[in-house]
Amino acid sequence: MSTHSINETSVPAQEPSSQLRGSVKRGVWTGLIPLALLAVFVAIALVTTAIARQLVADSGFAVQGQVALINLAAGLILAIAVFAVAVWRVLRRVALWQQIGESVQAKATLWTLTATALIIVVPVLLAVLLPQSPAP
Amino acid sequence: MLKQTPSSTASTASAPPVKGKPGKADRRWRRFVAVLLALATVLTMSYAAVGIYIATQVEVMPRMPLTTTPASFGLQYKDVTFPSRGDGLQLKGWFIPGVLPNGHLTSQRTIIVLHGNVANRADSGPGILRFSSDLAHRGFAILAFDFRGAGESADAPRSLSYLEQYDALGAVDFLRSGTLPYPELGRPHAIAGWGLSLGGATLIRAASQEPAIQAIVSDCAFADALPILEREIPKGGHLPAAFTPGGLVAYQALYGVNFYDDRPVDVIASIAPRPILLIHGTLDDYTVPSNMATLAVAARSAPNANVQTWLVPGAKHAGSYNVEGKVYVDRLVAFYTAALGPDTSGS
Repeated sequence: MSTHSINETSVPAQEPSSQLRGSVKRGVWTGLIPLALLAVFVAIALVTTAIARQLVADSGFAVQGQVALINLAAGLILAIAVFAVAVWRVLRRVALWQQIGESVQAKATLWTLTATALIIVVPVLLAVLLPQSPAP
Repeated sequence: MLKQTPSSTASTASAPPVKGKPGKADRRWRRFVAVLLALATVLTMSYAAVGIYIATQVEVMPRMPLTTTPASFGLQYKDVTFPSRGDGLQLKGWFIPGVLPNGHLTSQRTIIVLHGNVANRADSGPGILRFSSDLAHRGFAILAFDFRGAGESADAPRSLSYLEQYDALGAVDFLRSGTLPYPELGRPHAIAGWGLSLGGATLIRAASQEPAIQAIVSDCAFADALPILEREIPKGGHLPAAFTPGGLVAYQALYGVNFYDDRPVDVIASIAPRPILLIHGTLDDYTVPSNMATLAVAARSAPNANVQTWLVPGAKHAGSYNVEGKVYVDRLVAFYTAALGPDTSGS
């Protein structure tokens, strides 16, 4: 009897909570897209710079240095461009969700993007905050 | 992080999505996030750009021209060219045969001479060629060469021993299997090294992986390159110290040099049981004398360590030979003779 009464009360409550979890999950995954793309493109920039450096090693250091510099700079600019486009598209999707009342999903995405902004500045924060030990 | 109010849960769960304009608060939050992301990206990318700029400035290494040769010290010598180990970068140097008391030449015991930063194999400041000639006149052959990016050797980025160690290893390969500059003297029976500052740090790293280097003298070497860079980069670039890590990371990305791994102190113990003589001037304010103490402690951590230290009173950076002169040479001749044995080519 008591088990029956528990089932009766818990079943209707589980449906919205699982939907909520699903919405949050979708929102977070969507919000992570720009960061993931940024990470992938920065990694590609670093790897291709190392490869380019090896490929032109026989041409001398002057050429090697220039090739590495151009490759890295171009790679980072491309990474920023991809990141900016991804952010713009995700924010448009958020606006759409807000329009159709998918506010949970929209909020989850916006919170994830906020966290993304913090993650992006972590290297700068580490550089400022981590102690150095310069020689006397 | 994400808080859901009961009312919004209910609307998501039970009520159908309602089409309409997003509220002002929604728009404001979206704009806030967009601005936050833009600021974060601009901040980090600006930091990266400054880091890349620092890397390109650190890389620039002025070349010192060679203004003298061993002939000016009354020595025979031959120009030699050999590849660095690994990347095959071409290095230029001199092979100077040792002169025995009877005037005969010898290459039985050969010392590889490694110069300092922004210098060359004939650097007159610390008297490298004069010191080389002193050793040659005492019966030790000398292989003195220019590191990558220095003197007459091929261009390369500054690397403070990270890449130069392969140049020193290339010198060992040359002595063991390269074209003999003096075929009549045969190959060296024993190889040892002497390094000054950057050369000293390089020699420690090279000897730690090459047992053919039977003894080393490291004069005013650094134990760890990072503290020197953390001091010099902000000083040279007039930038806050916070930009130094960015510059070093960019340097690794651009030139493949990891200064965070540029630590002779981590490898010096593996030179044992081969003898090590560490020398440092008491007035050295570029690589302070505590570097020698740090290196000595690390070297002596090996159970069969053979480490001597010599703190030279009144000597500044790379100035011990200039201060001590003949005493310096006598001490090194005794050290090398004990480590390598006497020259037997004249007997």
